[in-house]
Amino acid sequence: MYRGLLPGLAAALLLAGSATRAAEPPPNGPLGGPPGASSCTGCHASQKIANSEIPRIAGRKAEDIVTFMRQYRSGAWPSSVMGRIAKGFDDQQIDAIAAWFAAQPE
Amino acid sequence: MSTRRHFMKLGAAAALAPAVASAQGAGAGRVVVVGGGFAGATAARTLKALEPRLTVTLVEPNPVYTACPFSNSVLANLREIDQQRFGYDGVKRAGVTVAETSVTAVDAEGKSVTLADGNKLSYDRLVMAPGIDFNWTAIPGYDEAAAQKMPHAWKAGAQTVLLRQQLQAMEDGGLVVMSAPANPFRCPPGPYERASLIAYWLKIWKPKSKLLLLDAKDAFSKQRLFQNGWAELYPGRIEWVSLSQGGKVTSVDPATLTLVTEFGSHKAAVANVIPPQRAGAIAAQAGVADRTGWCPVEPVAFESTLRPGIHVLGDAAIMGGMPKSAFAANAQAKVCAAAIVELLAGRRPQDPILINTCYSLVAADYGISIAGVYHPDKGLLADIPGAGGTSPLEAVGGLRGQEALYAASWFRTITAEVYG
Repeated sequence: MYRGLLPGLAAALLLAGSATRAAEPPPNGPLGGPPGASSCTGCHASQKIANSEIPRIAGRKAEDIVTFMRQYRSGAWPSSVMGRIAKGFDDQQIDAIAAWFAAQPE
Repeated sequence: MSTRRHFMKLGAAAALAPAVASAQGAGAGRVVVVGGGFAGATAARTLKALEPRLTVTLVEPNPVYTACPFSNSVLANLREIDQQRFGYDGVKRAGVTVAETSVTAVDAEGKSVTLADGNKLSYDRLVMAPGIDFNWTAIPGYDEAAAQKMPHAWKAGAQTVLLRQQLQAMEDGGLVVMSAPANPFRCPPGPYERASLIAYWLKIWKPKSKLLLLDAKDAFSKQRLFQNGWAELYPGRIEWVSLSQGGKVTSVDPATLTLVTEFGSHKAAVANVIPPQRAGAIAAQAGVADRTGWCPVEPVAFESTLRPGIHVLGDAAIMGGMPKSAFAANAQAKVCAAAIVELLAGRRPQDPILINTCYSLVAADYGISIAGVYHPDKGLLADIPGAGGTSPLEAVGGLRGQEALYAASWFRTITAEVYG
């Protein structure tokens, strides 16, 4: 097992986050999500899907998504592809994407 | 209404000008989408999801789409072709009208398309996602008839099945010869994944056989990762011949399964010729393809720079740094759909960011990836510096196995989003 990928931990953290999530404000950003958001669902399923190694992020707590993206971007948390992708986004863009996914149906 | 009409007539330049107030708000409109692959089907159902009042018609002659990603696994007997097939019921349930026919002509001035049955469809915005066609005059001897002897298998379906049958019927010790085209072409890592998975299959079933890969270029996507994998898993089985080593195929003889290069000729037991490509033929007819055969677009809504009101997506389009991949086509289509809804409402679409991620299999349980992040820059869709890149050359632990699992998960997810 390549433990750097932390898929189990990632899913567990995000699930824990969602259980204690406060009411999120409705999405108020641009149609279809802020820049970059719509690409994510190519891998992170927008609908519930069986048998996927890749966790869903819709409805997860925004601050958890932000934490993952920042840790992947800095390399503090190893990843396969997410570190390479996170490096394309600044803090503000990550915050907007995280807020948008947090407001989507889980 | 007059405001909106006037606005739309101004075309691409005006459409991207600062926001124009519209009394209509998010008005309804008619969008026609040509082509039901990853780009077209995504665009059609995203348009409907974002603006249910739109009338969206997807024109696609085939009742079933056969997906190219993972079709190399079909060649290696790791999957069946039926696992590549997707119908349009999900697209229809999303509220899209699916017209099972083809577009024979596009009238960009009159904003209508002519269908094979002679009927016309008017549109406010047209999305063209025609995929690729082959340049049948590029390699002397390689025409549509030759492809029955030397399959391209670069549009998944009957060609994939034919190439698999030829491989299975080959005598152990027979030489498999592939040829890969110069850039640009559909799925840049695809020929090398194919060589990998054929070698994987040969190693088990035809252990005396080798594969010769003749290439019209000197470098290719994920090259070091592929070559390291070949050395590790298939030593001596794959020989890659670069352009400067004489890899460019100058003609073929389908009768003798011979591929000719400037440096010599190679007789194959099984030949797979991946010919040079261009945008699907309807793109040229519509006037959205340039002299390269591909379609230039602006980088915000992917509207043609040659024909305002027509958006071009996926493999057919010139997308700057973005490769011709299913992931990219899906990402572009979602951005384009949102932009079209904004344009129809008289608003300026936001500057997008797009991601591409492409997995390739070097073996059934050995995956590698390349990713990129893109944004509009100086009129082109450009790589965001510092982002993207390939899997590390040194894999820690089970990274290759994990990426193979991610590849399979990606395919399940994207096909569910597009066709589910």
